[in-house]
Amino acid sequence: MTDLITRRTLLGSFAAAGTLLAGCSRLDDKTPFRQLLDASDGFTMHAQRLILAKRPLVRELPPSQISATFPMNGTTMPQGDYYKRLLDDEFRDWKLRVHGLVDRPLALTLAQLQSLPARTQITMHNCDEGWSAVGQWTGVQLARLFALSGLRPNARYAVFHCLDKIDLDGKYYYESIDLQDALHPQTILAYGMNGKQLPIGYGAPLRLRVEMQIGYKNAKYVDRIEVVDRLDTIGKGRGGWWEDFDNAVWYAGQ
Amino acid sequence: MQPEQDPVKRQIDYRHPLPVRVWHWANAAVLAVLLMTGLLIFDIHPHLYWGDEGHAGVPAFLSLSGTHLDRDVPQTELQVGNHRWDVTGILGSVIDDGFGGKYLLAAPAPADWQFGATRGWHFAFAWILGLSLPLYGLYLLGSGRLKKMLLPTRGDLELRSIANEFWQHLRLKRARGESARRYNLLQKVSYLSVIFVLIPTLVLSGLTMSNAITAAFPDLIALFGGRQSARSVHFLAAMLLVLFVLVHVFQVFVAGFFNLMRSMITGRFVVDREDSA
Repeated sequence: MTDLITRRTLLGSFAAAGTLLAGCSRLDDKTPFRQLLDASDGFTMHAQRLILAKRPLVRELPPSQISATFPMNGTTMPQGDYYKRLLDDEFRDWKLRVHGLVDRPLALTLAQLQSLPARTQITMHNCDEGWSAVGQWTGVQLARLFALSGLRPNARYAVFHCLDKIDLDGKYYYESIDLQDALHPQTILAYGMNGKQLPIGYGAPLRLRVEMQIGYKNAKYVDRIEVVDRLDTIGKGRGGWWEDFDNAVWYAGQ
Repeated sequence: MQPEQDPVKRQIDYRHPLPVRVWHWANAAVLAVLLMTGLLIFDIHPHLYWGDEGHAGVPAFLSLSGTHLDRDVPQTELQVGNHRWDVTGILGSVIDDGFGGKYLLAAPAPADWQFGATRGWHFAFAWILGLSLPLYGLYLLGSGRLKKMLLPTRGDLELRSIANEFWQHLRLKRARGESARRYNLLQKVSYLSVIFVLIPTLVLSGLTMSNAITAAFPDLIALFGGRQSARSVHFLAAMLLVLFVLVHVFQVFVAGFFNLMRSMITGRFVVDREDSA
């Protein structure tokens, strides 16, 4: 949901006075082209996984490099009564659910999450639009939550279901990553940003930081985490909102 | 190059072996797709920064800004360094942002544009470029073509030869006879720069924009002086490559379109007789 404003733009109707730049836009709806895109993305993932075999960390930056301002992109205020009610009592009644292919489903309040050992990291957020900003994120490692919940042997992906409706037709945002990224030490569910409670515009009460990947994978307003063995039953089947509605690549390590 | 004699005493060189022709045309197609998708990716954030971070509010060395986005033609300004130009009506295209607001692009995009797919295509074709480049480099070395065709000879580097080369280029004079059978110094230097500097720079700066790749190879970020620097280098190198292609195509027309096209398609290059000028 990082890039909502621009992308919504593109999904919305607009009259281009004259198309200067030719794109490959509609080609993607035809299966062979989409298969080619998916094949390329799969190839990228396998190639990157080879060079990531030693499980490196992305660089962490000194506090002096924290951006003075950080673009507030995508949804900046989820609509609807439910989120408003959560805000009204400062998320006290809200619980993060972890369910699906886990041994022990979890439902944790923000206070419970904050009582777990925390990880703080200063990292660079790279938006697929091209900009970069540095923020400090504090939260609980996803690996720690999965250690609490246990994972069934057939667990393969973590799906993040969010509180914000992004679609023009009113769908909630969703994203997914596989377990290698989910269990990476820098993959956290952040409740703090730059030393303060995570602001609404950046995804309160909880947002994903998956540092190996680009902006739109870093889902804001995470409400529940579903562990699944396949993605084709989620949304339109490509694993995420931008993947489904904008043909964005699912493995976004680029 | 094996000279052949035909009945009218034209000399024909077999100038371009198959690997050269395949790489040339594959690259031409791949670079065209990469340029179009790359420009579309740039279009959504037409600002270039130096250093690590870069976003709205951070000084850019190149930036397109706009006001009066509610008009059909917005008031736009191009800033490069400390210089500013009014580019109203030349650059800038406004689209709805979906919240009742407006958003500025540098140039109009296709009406049914899928930005995510554009990036996907860019990466798919980047694979072809990235994989074929080292293969071609090995071919140039292994086949001896690098030494035979591309590396400047001692004679090329003599001051008199260089001066003459520039003079011939300025007059747009077509090479004939023996001198047409080999690349001149300016050709050699530009081909070497494209193959061994420009395209590798594009590949490396592209890779440096990846979170995962820089996690594995953090030195890449230092090499380019920051993540946003890598993005800017990527864009500027692409523009240099466009410049190369423009000059390259122009030269093809100057030096004989049919002969040069034939040589890059069939491999065969007809050498003009010295006295046919």
